[in-house]
Amino acid sequence: MSAGPAAGPLVSVRGVHRTYGTGAATVHALRDVSFDLTPGTMVALVGRSGSGKTTLLNVIGGLDRPDAGTVRVDGVEVTALDEDGLARLRRERVSYVFQTFGLIPVLSAAENVGAPLRLARMPAAERERRVGLLLELVGLAGHAEQRPGELSGGQQQRVAIARALAASPRLLIADEPTGQLDAETGLSVMALLRGVVESEGVTALVSTHDPTMIALADRVIRIRDGRLDGQEAP
Amino acid sequence: MSPRIRPPAPHWPSVRGRALADAGPLLLAAAVVAVVTLLAGAVPPLLAATADDAVRDAVRRAGEDADVLVHAELQRDDGPYGGRLRTPRLAEEVDDLRERVVDEIGPAMRAALRPPVASVSSPVLRVTDGSVLRTLQLVYLAADPRAGGGPRVTWVAGGPPGPSAAGAADPDREVPYDGPPWPVQVGLSEADAAALGVRPGDRIPLKDEEKRDKDVRVSGIFRAADVAEQAWRPVPWLLRPVPGVDGTGTTRLGALLSRDSLPDARLAFEQQDTQRTVRFSPDPGRLTTGLATSITANVVNLKAESGSSGDFTGPPRWQTRLDAVLRDAGTQIAAGYAQASVLLAGVLAAAVLVLLLAADLLVRRRGPALAAARRRGAGLPDLGSELLLESTAVTLAAAAAGFLVAGLVAPGVAWGWAVPVVLAAVAAGPGFGTLAAARATGDRRVPANRSARRWNLRTAQLRRGALEAAVLVAAVAALVALRQRGILPPGGGGDPAAAAVPAAAGSGTDGGTLPASAPALGVLAGALVLLRLLPAGTGLALRRSLRSRRPLAVFGAARAAATSARALPLLVMVTGTALATFALTLAATAERGLADGAWRTVGADARLDALRADAAATAALARRIGAAPGVRLAVAGQVTDGARVAAAGSVIVSPRLVVVDAAAYRELLATTPLPDAPDLARLGAPAAGGVPVLVRSGDGGMRPGMRMELRRDGGAPAIPLAAVGDAPAVDGADDVVLVDAAALAAAGLPVAANTVWATGPGAARAVAANAAGADAVSRENVLRARRDAPLTAGLLRLARAAAVVLSLLGLLGLVVGAAASAPERWRTLTRLRTLGLRPRDARWVAAGELLPAVLAAAVAGPLLGLLFARLTLGPLALRLLTGQPADPVLVPPWWPLAVVAAALPVAVAVLVPAESALRRRRRMSEVLRAGEG
Ligand SMILES: Nc1ncnc2c1ncn2[C@@H]1O[C@H](COP(=O)(O)OP(=O)(O)OP(=O)(O)O)[C@@H](O)[C@H]1O
Ligand SMILES: [Mg+2]
Repeated sequence: MSAGPAAGPLVSVRGVHRTYGTGAATVHALRDVSFDLTPGTMVALVGRSGSGKTTLLNVIGGLDRPDAGTVRVDGVEVTALDEDGLARLRRERVSYVFQTFGLIPVLSAAENVGAPLRLARMPAAERERRVGLLLELVGLAGHAEQRPGELSGGQQQRVAIARALAASPRLLIADEPTGQLDAETGLSVMALLRGVVESEGVTALVSTHDPTMIALADRVIRIRDGRLDGQEAP
Repeated sequence: MSPRIRPPAPHWPSVRGRALADAGPLLLAAAVVAVVTLLAGAVPPLLAATADDAVRDAVRRAGEDADVLVHAELQRDDGPYGGRLRTPRLAEEVDDLRERVVDEIGPAMRAALRPPVASVSSPVLRVTDGSVLRTLQLVYLAADPRAGGGPRVTWVAGGPPGPSAAGAADPDREVPYDGPPWPVQVGLSEADAAALGVRPGDRIPLKDEEKRDKDVRVSGIFRAADVAEQAWRPVPWLLRPVPGVDGTGTTRLGALLSRDSLPDARLAFEQQDTQRTVRFSPDPGRLTTGLATSITANVVNLKAESGSSGDFTGPPRWQTRLDAVLRDAGTQIAAGYAQASVLLAGVLAAAVLVLLLAADLLVRRRGPALAAARRRGAGLPDLGSELLLESTAVTLAAAAAGFLVAGLVAPGVAWGWAVPVVLAAVAAGPGFGTLAAARATGDRRVPANRSARRWNLRTAQLRRGALEAAVLVAAVAALVALRQRGILPPGGGGDPAAAAVPAAAGSGTDGGTLPASAPALGVLAGALVLLRLLPAGTGLALRRSLRSRRPLAVFGAARAAATSARALPLLVMVTGTALATFALTLAATAERGLADGAWRTVGADARLDALRADAAATAALARRIGAAPGVRLAVAGQVTDGARVAAAGSVIVSPRLVVVDAAAYRELLATTPLPDAPDLARLGAPAAGGVPVLVRSGDGGMRPGMRMELRRDGGAPAIPLAAVGDAPAVDGADDVVLVDAAALAAAGLPVAANTVWATGPGAARAVAANAAGADAVSRENVLRARRDAPLTAGLLRLARAAAVVLSLLGLLGLVVGAAASAPERWRTLTRLRTLGLRPRDARWVAAGELLPAVLAAAVAGPLLGLLFARLTLGPLALRLLTGQPADPVLVPPWWPLAVVAAALPVAVAVLVPAESALRRRRRMSEVLRAGEG
């Protein structure tokens, strides 16, 4: 484990266990997982299918609760939060990008990006300015009024990334964000993520199967059968 | 997939596994099928039974009008020496006629008519003693000997009438035409003898119309063995004095002839004054709609073949209103069936839509499993046959249960109506399922090829447009057919059995199915239009919400906009509420019509009829009733039906002549919901050309502005009348001449009040207490009798039951639709929660998604229901049910409608928290994971 800056790690996972089912059907999806993440880095989470990547991301983001262990994000103990606390965490500190984009189909790209800002009750003028900036950042300034159905998969994922950045989170969790995209588009989305980590100072935790994506990461965490395999710097 | 054709092979474990996993939706579909088959199976036979009751009820109400009379002259008795021959065997001639007509009537009539009674009656004679007008009729009665003969009597004094002394001495003697009155012996009942003050051996002082004396002697005094015996019914004056038969203030008595005295009675009157008559009374208990049809045809034939009255040797003359009574009943039954078919068609339409929705829910739940089965290599025919097996088993079991219960509660089961529901239940699941499985084989990713996508969209839109056009065309055609032809089957609609056939068989052989489905189709078409409008509405709401500062409004509106094209839930909700409204409105309108009809018939809360025509006594009675507790107003008047009024061109019309204190009568009207008659005020002022009167005419024979004349009996001069305004329909009469009592008295015709109207809560009791032999009519009783009439009561019950079932189906549309869309909804909500939406706010977004369609249905449903009730009220012939003269006015039942409309939004308020509590247990990670792939 590399030591973080003086401010300490942004994410700190300690002794996390997560099992599904009971009896003979018990699956140990996570076993005693511990690690820290340095702020402002892009970290790739790599492992075979079924190794526990999604489970780990969900536990860190508070979408799932571990059976044992703690998770702290930006000084907040995620595993101790109630539903409202988790909602505030998601509004302010953690955001997600999913394989299936998860955009609201009847809203334009701009409105999708602005959705978290509405939840945060940002004034309309400020919101529109920020949405414009973000769409520019992800290279979709000319597509602001198009709906998700009128955008390509890569463009949709860019909108999703812009939306994830909208509320200026500290941590961006992306579960196979390129899973539904062809290799070239996937690479450009990864490059975009890489870029926003630099420009927005956000920490990105990205799960992926794709070895070429791994090259873009600051750090790779490997997981096998719910256990961390070892960590290597690129 | 094998390219070779082989029979589909169901995979049994999959069938069972699927059924167990989705027991909920399957049970729901089964429940809908069971309830609807119960309704569709039980209603037609119940109606048929009601129809039989209705026929019986109509015949019972018609009373003597429904009797079948056969008249035939007696043989002429001219003798060889210019006199008349006494015919000692005259009674056999009477028996002869009875025997002959029994042979002539068909088997249907023989089954439904009681054994006939033959009779010979004399002209009505005047009893010449005393001051009051009393009349007497000589009657010979001979009931069918096979039915016991009779009527049976016991002689309490004297003995049965025998032949006159002269007749006994020479039974066949010839009597000169201008001889002294021929003596006749008669028997009297105890009451009649007491009223006349005569004993056996006494002569009754009698004269005929021409003031000629009659020699009628009492042979004995009898007591009827059974006063309820059929033979007595048409001639009650044989048993006791009956007032009013020969005009107000008169009393009729009767004298019984025997076989032996009948030949003398014949000689005592002119040749043509005595007639043989055979009377059949129907036995209502034995009537059915089927018999009624044959009887109607039979009677019509007999009447057509019957001779004219003046014909001595020709065939007997048949006289009865039985055919008309049965035809009217048939028309009413046909209307009842038609109204019931309309209600059933509505329930079926809503049920079919709910079943489609349930199948949709099932397929959504099974989507992944079906796709997986396809990927494993299961063929479409195999999957289809598996689903078909399942749906058939579930449907047949449910339908069997429904029919079984129907068979228990109804006297038989009708299969036809349930067919569409059973078909929909069997076919919808496999159809949707196979389609979904077929689609699942395609690439699930968003199709890259835009032109292909557009093409798909185009064909889908075309298909939808065609379907909508088809429904619209069918709805318009049905509505036009209904409004042009009406609901009654063609060909007079008076044939109760013909009306019964389509309803029982559920087939549209008479073309009645299309008009009967007009409201259902119309409502469906309206729902389709709404379905087109809803996206525009939600789009508008979304644009507005985007300008608002409330994030929840945006998300709710966005969800609503995304789901506004979902057809089935909206269609079910709109159809259910609209048709429930339709049924409730029908029931309320009929109820109001019945109430109005009772007011019209009685003219007040209570009425006293056929009082002795004594103005002073009646006025005192009215005052007494008016002073009774709970009586608001009591008004006396004279009502005479069949007055002779010469209108324009000296055409004689016979309106109801009403003589009242105009001001008091108007005041009376004001205490009732009956329409005011402002023209009553005009009766006070003198009119040029005669006594001012108000007129009302069904055929326009009398109009305001006309000069008329009131003709009087006995050579009194006619009274000129001037029609100055419109008369109210006094007690429901179509033709009325209403005149102020004081004005008529001034013109020389004193008023003899015979009627008292009273209003107020205590009116019925006060009138009954003061009836003293007169007829007390209470509005409550009239209303109750009409409301409880079999057909009316049955239809009102059916309308209410249909309304309940329909609103439940509408609610089911909401619940099943919400269940079908729940996974996607909560997946989206969970995604929104990853953006920071709080769990409790998710509920508002969920409500926001469901509410637009629900509110649209809650508003448009009742409106559509009212619209189609308004459009079809006349063609549905509701007036036949309520007994109103014209089509009733639409009466929206506001409170029940409010309940129907509010049920859906209230259900959302219950559903969403329940749904969110149910979904809350699942972790966000699981919900999101399920949405992947
Ligand atoms: N709800 C669940 N119930 C039971 N087992 C589960 C559940 N969710 C995940 N698992 C199991 O937990 C293990 C880890 O799953 P997870 O989805 O985290 O893997 P993954 O690394 O994300 O795989 P992939 O790359 O295919 O997405 C797997 O063996 C999976 O079968
Ligand atoms: Mg995964």
